[in-house]
Amino acid sequence: MGTFSIGRKTFSFASLIIGIVLTIWGLGVAIAKGGPAYSSRGALIVIGVLLFIAGLYYFPTLKYHRAIINLLFLFPLLFAFLVTVIIPLILGIGYSFTDWNGIRLKGFVGFANYARMFKQASFLWSILITFLFVVFNMILVNVVAFLLALLCTSRIKGLGFFRAAYFLPNLIGGIVLGYIWQFIFSNVVTKFTGTYSMLSDTKTAFLAIIIVYIWQYAGYIMLIYITGLNTIPGDVLEASAIDGANPMQTLFNIKIPMIAPTITICTFLTLTSAFKQFDVNLALTNGTGSVPDFLGNYLTNGTEMLALNIYSTAVINNEYSFGEAKAVLFFIILATVSIIQVRISNKKEVEL
Amino acid sequence: MKKKLMSVLLAGTMVASLAACGESGSAPAATTSDNTTTEATTETKTDAPADNAQADAGSAEAAGGSFDPVRLLNGKPEINDQMQALAAKYLEETGNTLTVETIGGDTNASDELKKMYQADNMPDIFVIEANQAETWDGMLADLSGEEWTTKTEFALNNASMGTIGFPYTVEATALGYNADLLKQAGVDPATLTSPAAWKEACETLDSKKDELGITAVFGWCAEPANLGWSSGTHVFGQYLDAGLKADDTTYIDLLNDGGKIDEARMKAFAEFIGMMNQYSDPALLVDGTYDNQVAGFKDGKYVFITQGNWCVTSPEDVSFECGFAPYAFEDGINTIIAGPPSYWVAYSEGNVDGAKAFFNWCAGDSAQKILVEDAGLVSPFSDCKYEAVNPFYKSMNSYITSGNFSGWHTMLKKDGLQNVTCQVFADYAKGTLDADKFTSTMAQVISNYYAQ
Repeated sequence: MGTFSIGRKTFSFASLIIGIVLTIWGLGVAIAKGGPAYSSRGALIVIGVLLFIAGLYYFPTLKYHRAIINLLFLFPLLFAFLVTVIIPLILGIGYSFTDWNGIRLKGFVGFANYARMFKQASFLWSILITFLFVVFNMILVNVVAFLLALLCTSRIKGLGFFRAAYFLPNLIGGIVLGYIWQFIFSNVVTKFTGTYSMLSDTKTAFLAIIIVYIWQYAGYIMLIYITGLNTIPGDVLEASAIDGANPMQTLFNIKIPMIAPTITICTFLTLTSAFKQFDVNLALTNGTGSVPDFLGNYLTNGTEMLALNIYSTAVINNEYSFGEAKAVLFFIILATVSIIQVRISNKKEVEL
Repeated sequence: MKKKLMSVLLAGTMVASLAACGESGSAPAATTSDNTTTEATTETKTDAPADNAQADAGSAEAAGGSFDPVRLLNGKPEINDQMQALAAKYLEETGNTLTVETIGGDTNASDELKKMYQADNMPDIFVIEANQAETWDGMLADLSGEEWTTKTEFALNNASMGTIGFPYTVEATALGYNADLLKQAGVDPATLTSPAAWKEACETLDSKKDELGITAVFGWCAEPANLGWSSGTHVFGQYLDAGLKADDTTYIDLLNDGGKIDEARMKAFAEFIGMMNQYSDPALLVDGTYDNQVAGFKDGKYVFITQGNWCVTSPEDVSFECGFAPYAFEDGINTIIAGPPSYWVAYSEGNVDGAKAFFNWCAGDSAQKILVEDAGLVSPFSDCKYEAVNPFYKSMNSYITSGNFSGWHTMLKKDGLQNVTCQVFADYAKGTLDADKFTSTMAQVISNYYAQ
């Protein structure tokens, strides 16, 4: 005892207590929307939190001082994470059990939203084509990106230009890109084919989205592959060359096994981003396209992927809670697929 | 010691930066009357008048009726400048402040309003479409008995909330035509009131294509991704309303009763649309854009256009006379759809008195002058003495004064239905459906949509 002066102790405890009181007061009037000092509730909360932190910093302890400091430094990040991710997630799951329409909540409906979405043919169709889209993209983007990476690590001239050129589409936002390609498909491509735009037919429109997506995303994945290829030690390649390995053997027996971790990262990235495809989908086709007979229904959302389906359910059709329920399912699917995928890839890396 | 000081400083700045975020976030909600900080769209123009208002609020009181500032959420970005002028005029004449916030382009006003509602940041006046009244049930002020309501037949009435909507413009949609081309071809638009007459006119115009210098008879575009609102809402609206009186809700009631349609009427409508598909520009029909459609009409490439009076707003845009012809898919249909597609409503928990005062002023002479002459809107008020500059106005007005107009009941259909029906129009235009299939598919997708 006696390590800390009385002054420090009093200061610490006093600021902790005053801090808590001010914060609660501020929050209280904010929630009650009125009361004493309503207009300065922001200042109350801020001063309260500042005092609390000061009190915590000067808290008379040696044992936990380091832990307190660590916590203080982590606080901004944790706070932001809580506000932007955790709380919305919990609220979202909560809303999915209600009949919230974006303005008012009339009551809880239990699992009705969840039961309903599996009866909705257009939603099932969205799930189906999203999976198709993911499979196509995961394979095609990685193959194209890997080939581009091989090209950009070879000794061709103008390497910097090619790298920049392949990467550039990724810098353009998906919406802008969608409109650019919409113009290309309906004004330029039609000049050669002489028919309607690819975008007006479900199958070709789906193909069009895949093309645009690869064009946008392959450059980005290429950069990661380039980094991976550059980390392969030169002596391994040299040794294989001395042993007489031809370029094909080097590629399949040295390079690809050596960049297995990179392949994991890239498949993971393409998988999740293809699942979450939204902006290109919105700008290019807005989900249109007809399917004459799916489960006995004439569908009009032939190219609508999951994310866009959720958006239009909530915002266009004005069914926020139903959209939330779909979003929760979307989250579950995405989480499951990602976990499985990472598990499998990790095992493979160990084996190699 | 130095280290400690540094860490305190760093922690302090971190907290301060957080606090700064918190402060600016809570400020708008804290003082709802302080309009200048809530300005989301950065219209610096209004800032100055707003400041003046505070300064000479005293002198304004003498002018009669001083109210707290009113915030208006405008859903028409194209008239933002004119709305700012309107706000300035309002301040000049009454001393009261109106702050106009505009929600632009593709942003969905109703979606934005929901965010504003959740953030406790509701404007006093905002824009809604007729079918959104349900969403705001119990939150809109009853404006009945106000002076302006006696001067117009276009106010929005709601069964549970009374007179809630202030009409700020009248828009019309039908088949817009190029009168000069029709005259050249010897077709009298007044006779186009039966399918047979339309067919004959189309054949005549089509045979004189080269002579008239036109690409096609119709500038009709059924592209669904960007123009779904045109086919799915406006053209579909003709099925609901064409030929009916403005207060006749037969087909919209049928539709909203679980998505039923009148097959015979839909079939006739389908055949009319089929004729439009046949005589339309193939380059525009399936994958065109709004811009191409309107440009083609303005250049005299198309005789008819499937838009409304909004597609040509200034007399300088066209060198010919414009008019509307009805979608006469049954004999004797002689109406166009005319009315306010959206309304201004007053939020019942906002500054209702201020909003009412503004509405009364807005229905008056000086405000109508700005809205009609500068913004190019068509006045819904009977005592308005300004002639709209819109090239379609003359034709529109002749329909309205003779009572040959139908309502915008298409705005009362279930939210999002247009995204379903527009695809059926597109398939029909592409030729994958015929008139019978169009009718049955329409019936199927609509009833499915309502069943969800």
